[in-house]
Amino acid sequence: MIRVIATLPLIPLAAALLAALPASPGRLRGLLMAAAALPALAVALFASAVEPAQLEWALLDTHVGLDTIGRVWLFFTSFLWCVAGLYAARYMEGRPGGRRFAVFYLMTMAGNLGLVIAQDVASFYLGFALMTFAGYGLVVHDATPEARRAGRVYLVMAVLGETMLLAGFILAAVGAPSLAMHDVVAAVATSPRAGVIVALLLAGFGIKAGALPLHMWLPLAHPVAPTPASAVLSGAMIKAGLLGWIRFLPLGLVAMEGWSIAIIALGIAAAFFGVMVGVTQRDPKTTLAYSSISQMGFLNVGLGIALGAPEAWPVAAAAILAYVVHHGIAKGALFLGVGVAAEARTVGERRFALGGLALAALSIAGAPLTSGSIAKGALKGVAPLAPGGWPAFLDVLLPVAALGSTLLMARFLFLVAVKDRAMGGRSRFMGLALPWTVLLAAVAGMMWLLPHWYDLELHAPDFTSPGRLWIMIWPIAGGTLVALLVAGIARRRPFGRGATVAPGDILIPVERAAAWAVGRLRAYPLPESLTPVQGLASLWYGTYAGADRRDSLAGAEAFVTRWAVAATMALVVIVLTMLALIAG
Amino acid sequence: MFHGPSLLLSILATSMVTGVILFFLKEEQARLRTALNLFGAATKVVLVALLVWGTAHGESYQLRMQFMPGLEIVLHADFLALLFGSLSAVLWLVTTIYAVGYLEGSPHRSRFFGFFSLCVAATMGIALAGNLLTFFVFYEMLTVVTYPLVVHRGTGRALAAGRTYLLYTIFGGTLVLVGTVWLSLVAGSQDFATGGFVSELAATRPGTLRAIFAVLIAGLGVKAALVPLHGWLPEAMVAPAPVSALLHAVAVVKAGAFGIIRVVYDVFGVTTAEALGVLLPLAIVAAVSIVYGSLRAAMQDDLKKRLAYSTISQLSYITLGVAIIGPLSTTGGMVHLMHQGIMKITLFFCAGLYAETLGIHRVSEMTGVGRRMPLTTAAFTIAAFGMMGVPPVAGFVSKWYLGLGGVAAGHDWVVAVLVTSSLLNALYFLPVVKVAWFDAPSDAWAGSDAAASPYGTTGAGGRRRRLEAAPLLLGPAMVTAWLSLAAGVLAGVWFGPLGLARMAVALIYPP
Repeated sequence: MIRVIATLPLIPLAAALLAALPASPGRLRGLLMAAAALPALAVALFASAVEPAQLEWALLDTHVGLDTIGRVWLFFTSFLWCVAGLYAARYMEGRPGGRRFAVFYLMTMAGNLGLVIAQDVASFYLGFALMTFAGYGLVVHDATPEARRAGRVYLVMAVLGETMLLAGFILAAVGAPSLAMHDVVAAVATSPRAGVIVALLLAGFGIKAGALPLHMWLPLAHPVAPTPASAVLSGAMIKAGLLGWIRFLPLGLVAMEGWSIAIIALGIAAAFFGVMVGVTQRDPKTTLAYSSISQMGFLNVGLGIALGAPEAWPVAAAAILAYVVHHGIAKGALFLGVGVAAEARTVGERRFALGGLALAALSIAGAPLTSGSIAKGALKGVAPLAPGGWPAFLDVLLPVAALGSTLLMARFLFLVAVKDRAMGGRSRFMGLALPWTVLLAAVAGMMWLLPHWYDLELHAPDFTSPGRLWIMIWPIAGGTLVALLVAGIARRRPFGRGATVAPGDILIPVERAAAWAVGRLRAYPLPESLTPVQGLASLWYGTYAGADRRDSLAGAEAFVTRWAVAATMALVVIVLTMLALIAG
Repeated sequence: MFHGPSLLLSILATSMVTGVILFFLKEEQARLRTALNLFGAATKVVLVALLVWGTAHGESYQLRMQFMPGLEIVLHADFLALLFGSLSAVLWLVTTIYAVGYLEGSPHRSRFFGFFSLCVAATMGIALAGNLLTFFVFYEMLTVVTYPLVVHRGTGRALAAGRTYLLYTIFGGTLVLVGTVWLSLVAGSQDFATGGFVSELAATRPGTLRAIFAVLIAGLGVKAALVPLHGWLPEAMVAPAPVSALLHAVAVVKAGAFGIIRVVYDVFGVTTAEALGVLLPLAIVAAVSIVYGSLRAAMQDDLKKRLAYSTISQLSYITLGVAIIGPLSTTGGMVHLMHQGIMKITLFFCAGLYAETLGIHRVSEMTGVGRRMPLTTAAFTIAAFGMMGVPPVAGFVSKWYLGLGGVAAGHDWVVAVLVTSSLLNALYFLPVVKVAWFDAPSDAWAGSDAAASPYGTTGAGGRRRRLEAAPLLLGPAMVTAWLSLAAGVLAGVWFGPLGLARMAVALIYPP
């Protein structure tokens, strides 16, 4: 079994090689994208948990295995990659760069599957890095100016994240008897450098997870990618950052009060911030990206609670699992739905698309009987276990945040609905709607089966008591009401451009500051000693003209290479020789 | 089949004799020359494999010759020698194939390949040297026989670079000689031995030993391109690509780094060196070189120059690993000796491929080249990611061990240096990879006939293109790229670089 599991990420990798061949036809590439994750899906559904086993010949001390967390993660990850792959097969037909897309799609998939089955530091890092760097190819695929900018920000953040992780992993692994995850986590718990390690891991994985304030690349990168790539970016890959935290933070082992407070606070902040900036967006996909930031905030609250109260971890783990599956699938359905709606050519198709999107949106908002309500209910079950005065606080904040989710989803649906569309003509609606429907079915039915399938003990919401039901409904009703109200006002007095926040929010001042600094550096000749900085700055801005790249160190080096210096050196040699002879 | 001394001698002789014969070949005898070259290179790989096999099975190989009364030439095959020797033998084979393809039709090939062979003979001598004197002899021989390779093109720039090269290396060689003589005066001429042979002197004459250490390291640091002794290396990149590969990956810089390893472990011994307090300064010099080399690399537009500065940085990883005490760090340094070789040779092969196929010399001309030369660019990408320390490429394994070793020895700053270096590596390698794969093809070469993509379109004369570049150039790059990948993916196998390094370290730090 362990060999089967170890092969799972190799299948998409082999498929990527196959897709890269000059002779591979488009149809084959489509098939590969759709089918490469199927074996992983089958394993996730039908294999039982597998104890980690060592493959001593591979990388450094490689361990692979499949625990409950791994099984559930593998399930929704491979499911999303499958469905999005099927969707991509049709989506990329007739679009340029199909081969390149397929290669990067499959490589990213391999990384994502690999990190789920990894049970040691090095192979987890391998999967994470492969996913991150291959993901760049998905982000910049459309080669528009926006895609290029998003790609640049993505890459810078990715490299920062990777290096922070490397440093964190090295510091963590030093005290561990092996690189297997359980050893490393235990070492983190007792390490004298625990503070630094946790900080590095939080930030390093936080970039991928879109945690505040490292989220700035996300609202740029997730929407500009081709639609199927957006779905996996926001549905599956964003969760890899969370999985990193789950795997390497000493959850359930020690209480880290300080970090716990920080994570919960940042989580709540993200839940609100995502909504507030998200509702001002004009592109539906950007709205969804902000919704992901907001939803990841909810998840972080659960994680933060468990970091502060180790005994809460089993409950929190089950809730987090339910929530990631729910959000992964619902967010995937929303992103794919944007593409489906764009291809709708008849009234019927349009109704179908909007109806499906409404279902997924309701699920995100947590409407009763949807997967969202079960996931949110499970997460609410964790709140009372929070340390200190958090429970009372969370009791108030979480429903308000849920109201925000509703508002954001309403804004999203509005943006999709008002988009002008060409009616009539040939479209690929059917090819896209088919995989999408599979995802919608999962949104509707998944949560009823999942806990039983994987034996998750969830704090189940009670749909029969009117009081409980009201608690679930009022944020949605309230959110809808506010949305309608705002829409009514906007109809009379449209909000101007001033009412929007540019995607990337705090990235804008960061970029401006960078541009300003570079401008200053270029405008004023600096003392020679500072020019390396200038060189680096111009590198960031991507010009390789070289003409204006000042290279002061070259001057110093030319000096060193001159004969005069050689004479001095020779003198040194002679003196040393004499010294040696005298001393000897 | 072989008894000890004759195997060692034949390893030296294969390239020495080949080299001498090659000088006497006429320029037109290309086939014979190629056959001889390949025969020599392949034989050496086989012989070194025999040596490894024999040593692994308990044989010991040694050769002693009286040179002058009291001065002996000693060759022996310990683990370190095997490490460096097998690296050189394997990489020489691929470089020879590459060089045959690269120099096809150009003048002075007999001279070139003659010195090329002698250069590898010298490298083998350095690997197998059993005492400082022998080491010095081959070290100087390497200087002399690489000079004609550096100036091979005979242009003004090449001659200037050659002058700089000679200046630096002779200066370095002199320092090594001074150190060797001085040491033999105070401690007698002794063989390399794990743990060194100066431990008794450390108590009585620590000052002298410190000075000798400094002189030796300064001399070796020239070839190992430690900052500020690195000036010759970026200049020397005017040499033909196979020579750059040889300088940067197989022979010259490695000879310096290997010498540092020998001095620290087998002349002074880690315990003595630590007691003398000379290792921390060395580690700091290495750390400075790592960061400085990366910074300078980031500022170069010329591809080979960028790679040259990157060598300064990457090579100092080895020195850093040697200078930090502890098995993990030593493993990192030794394994990087091999990893840096296979990754950097890949990068230089690719630089040569770009230059030969499309006339690309600058990073700014590389835009979109991935579409035209996907295999080359894939090889370049693998090696570049390896340099950044991204798994599963070999460089990750080196960085991992170096980082662990630094922290284990209580030098947490090592992690900061490595991470800084990784960031800088990303800064100067990722933009290259990015423009090559994702940008529109550059005007610099897109108009030319050679620019036809292997994908779909047909090349000149309506014939479908088979390969993106000359197979003799592309093949070696593919091989070393795969090796870089395999060294990381299969790091756990005992006969891989990491496995060998671990065995060598087990001897230095007995468990």
